[in-house]
Amino acid sequence: MAMPDGVPPVPFAHPGGPLAGYRVLDLADEKGQLCTRLLGELGADVIKVEPREGDPTRGCGPFFRGEEGAETSLFWWVMNAGKRSVTCELRLEQGRELLHRLAARSDILVETCVPGTQAALGLDYPTLRAVNPSLIVVSISGFGQTGPYAKLHTSDIVAAALGGHMHLNGDEEHGPVRTTVPQAFTQANFQAAVGAMVALYARGVNDGVGQHVDVSMQEAMSLAMDNAQTTWDIRGINLGGPGMRRNNTQFTTPRYLYETADGWVACVQAGGLFGVLANTIIDWLAETGEAGPLDSPEWRARLVNPQPLNDDERPIVEDVLAAFCKKRLKDDLVAEAQRRGAGWAPVLSPREIADSRQLAARDYWVRVQHEAIGESFVYPGAPWKFSATPWMQRGRAPHVGEHNDQVYAELLDIGAADLRRLRMRMAV
Amino acid sequence: MSAEQPKAPFAGLRVADFAWVGVGPTVSKYLADHGAEVIRIESSTYPESLRRVGPFVDNIPGVDRSGYYANFNSSKLGASINLKHPRGPELAKRIALACDVVTESFTPGTMARFGLDYASLSAERPDLVMISMPLYGQTGPWSHYSGFGHVLQGAAGFNHLTGWPDEPPIGTGTAYTDFLVPHIGAVGLIAALDYRRRTGVGQYIDFGQFEAAIHGLWTAMLDWTANGHEQTRMGNRDPEAAPHGCYRCRDGRYIVLACFTEKQWEGFRAALGRPDWCDLERMRRKWQRLNEQKEIDRHIQAWLDGYTYDPARPDVFADEGGESQGRRFTTDEVMMHFQDYGVPCGIVRSPEAMRSDPQMLHRQHYWMLEHPVMGLRSYDGPAFRLSATPTKLRKAAPCLGEDNEYVFKEIVGLGDEEFIELLADGAFE
Repeated sequence: MAMPDGVPPVPFAHPGGPLAGYRVLDLADEKGQLCTRLLGELGADVIKVEPREGDPTRGCGPFFRGEEGAETSLFWWVMNAGKRSVTCELRLEQGRELLHRLAARSDILVETCVPGTQAALGLDYPTLRAVNPSLIVVSISGFGQTGPYAKLHTSDIVAAALGGHMHLNGDEEHGPVRTTVPQAFTQANFQAAVGAMVALYARGVNDGVGQHVDVSMQEAMSLAMDNAQTTWDIRGINLGGPGMRRNNTQFTTPRYLYETADGWVACVQAGGLFGVLANTIIDWLAETGEAGPLDSPEWRARLVNPQPLNDDERPIVEDVLAAFCKKRLKDDLVAEAQRRGAGWAPVLSPREIADSRQLAARDYWVRVQHEAIGESFVYPGAPWKFSATPWMQRGRAPHVGEHNDQVYAELLDIGAADLRRLRMRMAV
Repeated sequence: MSAEQPKAPFAGLRVADFAWVGVGPTVSKYLADHGAEVIRIESSTYPESLRRVGPFVDNIPGVDRSGYYANFNSSKLGASINLKHPRGPELAKRIALACDVVTESFTPGTMARFGLDYASLSAERPDLVMISMPLYGQTGPWSHYSGFGHVLQGAAGFNHLTGWPDEPPIGTGTAYTDFLVPHIGAVGLIAALDYRRRTGVGQYIDFGQFEAAIHGLWTAMLDWTANGHEQTRMGNRDPEAAPHGCYRCRDGRYIVLACFTEKQWEGFRAALGRPDWCDLERMRRKWQRLNEQKEIDRHIQAWLDGYTYDPARPDVFADEGGESQGRRFTTDEVMMHFQDYGVPCGIVRSPEAMRSDPQMLHRQHYWMLEHPVMGLRSYDGPAFRLSATPTKLRKAAPCLGEDNEYVFKEIVGLGDEEFIELLADGAFE
């Protein structure tokens, strides 16, 4: 698509999204940029507000070709794709005034300041509510806006630890482990997005009443504790990291992970060798003569019996399946297991996910043009396929202040001369 | 603005929830806990999997005793239909048509088999919003694949990215995607509902859990597609922080700490009492420290061995390390000690410890709800607090078919006699 000279190519217009017509101001760091990107791809006009020197998260790695710089952070690319960017110096009164004028024309504002430090930047809820009573202000922090931990220093691993998830992650031998791609940040972003949407809907049915949405990263992470919280509540059993097994309230399950000739497969309870599918899986192994001792009336009867496997039985079952998997390719194993009704899945790496037949058939990936680099790159695609209001990827992440002229003119009616004056006063 | 109390966001919306296990019920829980009338539609002939999985009250299995099921189904009504009964599909359809929203998570094609697909329902109710959320979406070679969150986390990359380098891809120890993708599902569903509120237009959402989960991989996909670099599991390390790890204290509990910035590193040094090793030339810059993590980890562990103690066994104290100059810390104190110096630090909380975590208590995260069979039990609320229209978990999870009489008489409109006849005939089993 040819663009007239001087018109920024991104974000692409998205008038058909379910949130088209709403405006979101993004003053967030890692805790909130993915949240606002989701809203943008649903049609909202998302404006990233950066300090003059650029947002600090432009310094988050990894970097394109390993070269650090304000425009090469892959973190920035992923989290801010399809947003507009303005610069606004909130440490100056004129900057705060500009922000408040933008807030008056917006529906949602997302901020991630350390609790208690918002007022200095004009981002506290009372001030913002006075500016725009219909505004939904989403505050995302490590632990919430109030309480004994509100001002503690946080990071992904700290919230993963205090949020209980790490206790279930890992094994006895090595101790707790964090998922390498930051999940406390991810969970906080998603909780913020749900909270923002609930508040937006609430506003629609309550004569435009705005509100404050207070999100805790610790609490967000705690929601990923599976049934460990209820297991403690109901049984008084304090679950830990099960390694390659699964937590079960009554017993140790057989392994669910097995090495293949080309990687790993994930299959619940020894691939189904224990439980209602036991005979189906034994038949499969027996067809190639690899069922070992399990292809006997005694073992068959034993394995369909829901009585937990004991420490002597478990390794026998696991060893049979491990030897079977080790000789085969994971895709073949999964296809055959699925054909027989067992819910196996391959363990995939990013490269293998990118090569997935399923995702290709779904037309999942989107190609995003980075015209300054002269290349395009493949990004993850639609999480939802809507029949009436399609999801849309809206192009690359913005350069620092790329949309200053456009946004300030369009929303605040600030002309070129006024904008120059603001620039000289360092507000923009 | 009205002076009266704002009403619950989804008050007046009715939801037919055919979904099961973790993801679907969590999506509709958001609607239920914010005012919608959500009807779980189940069957006793083929009970929802989570009703058959523990924890069970008193360790006695039973469809109305599972905490796993209960936690995802607060504030909902329970109805049961036997879809194999000659009138089952018709009854289910009548419930669906009385609703604004239909949610389901069956293998593609299942709803159509019972005449409950979007085309059939929307022909009679055009403003219906329906979301289908199986593992892999409605189309494609894997669309008929079955499974659970515990294996989907493998397909979606979370196993590959969890564990220690050169060790197996152990995964998160949970059915992780079950606690990741429902939030994204809910965002799309509420966006569609808001669109309907403003325009009257209903729609169908084809939501594939696999596709949503990939958005939780942070930069891993783009690092591959743009840089050809494949991220992998790094234990407790982080590519941008040193130290960054998890360490054992004297009482057997673990703490984590992270230094991303020079300021945090300075705080860390001060918190340790400025030991000499921190001044080594090779510790000066972050990129250098990233290369010295093994040594740094060893020093941290030695420091914790020397400075922490177990209040339950105060006489046991470290000889090794020998760094302590008198002050000793409990694990709780050591966390606050590093925090006081500006270092992000926390304790690895166990499920038990979560319940007495001072911040979780302050946030009143866990709701205690009375269930007729299970008694007073804890439920998770969301991680957000809404100032004007607060979340409200109105009741405990439903027993199977608990609200049949209300649902089939009031909503479907069956007469007393017809209801009793169908009941006797097994239509609600």
